[in-house]
Amino acid sequence: MSLKFLVVDDSVTMRRIVINSLKNLGFPNYVEAVDGRDALGKLSANSDINFIITDWNMPGMSGLELVKAIRGDASIASLPILMVTTRGVKEDIIEALQARVSDYIVKPFTPQILKEKIEAIIKRT
Amino acid sequence: MEEAKNLVSVFDKLNDLKSLFKFGEKIVPIIQSLVEFMKDIIPLLDTINTSIADSTSKMPIASNQINDVTNATEMATCQILDLVDDISNALASIETALITEKERQEKIELLAQSLNNALEGNTGLQEQLKELLELTKDRRILETVIPLIEAIREDSYKITMALQVQDITAQQLAAVNHLINSVHSKLSLIVADIEKSELNSEMGSSRSNSFDTPDGAHYDANASFTRGEGVQQKVDDLIRENNLRSNS
Repeated sequence: MSLKFLVVDDSVTMRRIVINSLKNLGFPNYVEAVDGRDALGKLSANSDINFIITDWNMPGMSGLELVKAIRGDASIASLPILMVTTRGVKEDIIEALQARVSDYIVKPFTPQILKEKIEAIIKRT
Repeated sequence: MEEAKNLVSVFDKLNDLKSLFKFGEKIVPIIQSLVEFMKDIIPLLDTINTSIADSTSKMPIASNQINDVTNATEMATCQILDLVDDISNALASIETALITEKERQEKIELLAQSLNNALEGNTGLQEQLKELLELTKDRRILETVIPLIEAIREDSYKITMALQVQDITAQQLAAVNHLINSVHSKLSLIVADIEKSELNSEMGSSRSNSFDTPDGAHYDANASFTRGEGVQQKVDDLIRENNLRSNS
C-alpha cells in the first residue's frame, strides 16, 4: 500500500523531524500543513492523502478541532489520524480518543514508536 | 418665662459647643497625624504607581524578547537540521560508493581465486596473483568502515530527533509569554484605575500594540523534554483501556 502522509504542525522543526522520520521508515510521500485549517485545504487539494499525522497545539484551528472536522466529514471520516503532541495529561488523551484519533504519541517521540504506531494503524485499517 | 426657656436653650447649645470643642481638641491631633501620614504615603503611593507603570510598560518588551528567542532558536534548529540532512545525504552517498567498491573487490577476489586454480603448477604466476590478491585487502578495511558510516548516520538521525527540544521549549516559552500577557493586562487595569488620565492611555496603547502573542492558547505549559518512555507507556495503556471499554 502506497501511503501519502499529511504532516500538520505549526512548528517547522517538528514538521521536518516527522518528515525525516517518515523518509527513514520508507515513506517518502508527504504534504505539509501549518495548522488545522491549512490541513483541511490540503486534504481537499490532495485526494490521495491517506494518512494524517497532526500536532494538537496550533494557532488558528487546533489538531483536536481538525480531528473533529475530519470525523464529521463523511468523505474523509475514515482517514487514519495519528496525534503527535506534548500533551500527556490523562484528560487530554481521553478527549482525543473521544474525538476518535486513531492513535496518540507524546513528544518527544522515538522513531521506533512512530514506526510501531503507523504499522499498527495500517494493520487495523 | 419664654425668655428663661430661651436662655436654657442657649446654655444647652453652648454646652454642646463646649463638648464639640473638647472633642475637637482630641480629634485635631489625630487629624493632624492623618494628614502627616497622608503626606508621607502619597509620594510612596506615587512611587508604587510609577514602579507598577514602569514594570507594566516593560512587560511587552520582555514578551517580544521571548518571541525573538523562540524565532531565533527555531531558525538555528532549522540550520542544524539542514546541516544534519547534508551530513546524512553525504554519508549515504559515501556508504553507497563503499558498498559498490566492496562488491567490486569481492568480484576481483573471486576471479583471482578461479585464476589461481587455473594456474595450478605455475608458481611464478600464482605468486603474482597472490600479490594481486594482497592488493584487495582494502575489502577488509571497507568492511570496518561501512558499519562505522552507518553508525554515524544513526547518530546524526538521533541529533535530528533530539531537536524536538526546540518545539517543546517553544511551547514552554509561549506559556510564559501568555502568563506575562495576563499579568500585564491586570496591572494595566490597576494602574489605569489609580491614574486614569495619562497612564490609562499609555497602558492602553502598549496593551493593544506591543504584544506579539496571538490570542488563544496554542501551547502546552506542561511540555517537557525529560520524559522517559514511561509516559508513552501510560498513554498506550490508557488507549488500550479505552478501546476495551468501547468494544465491550
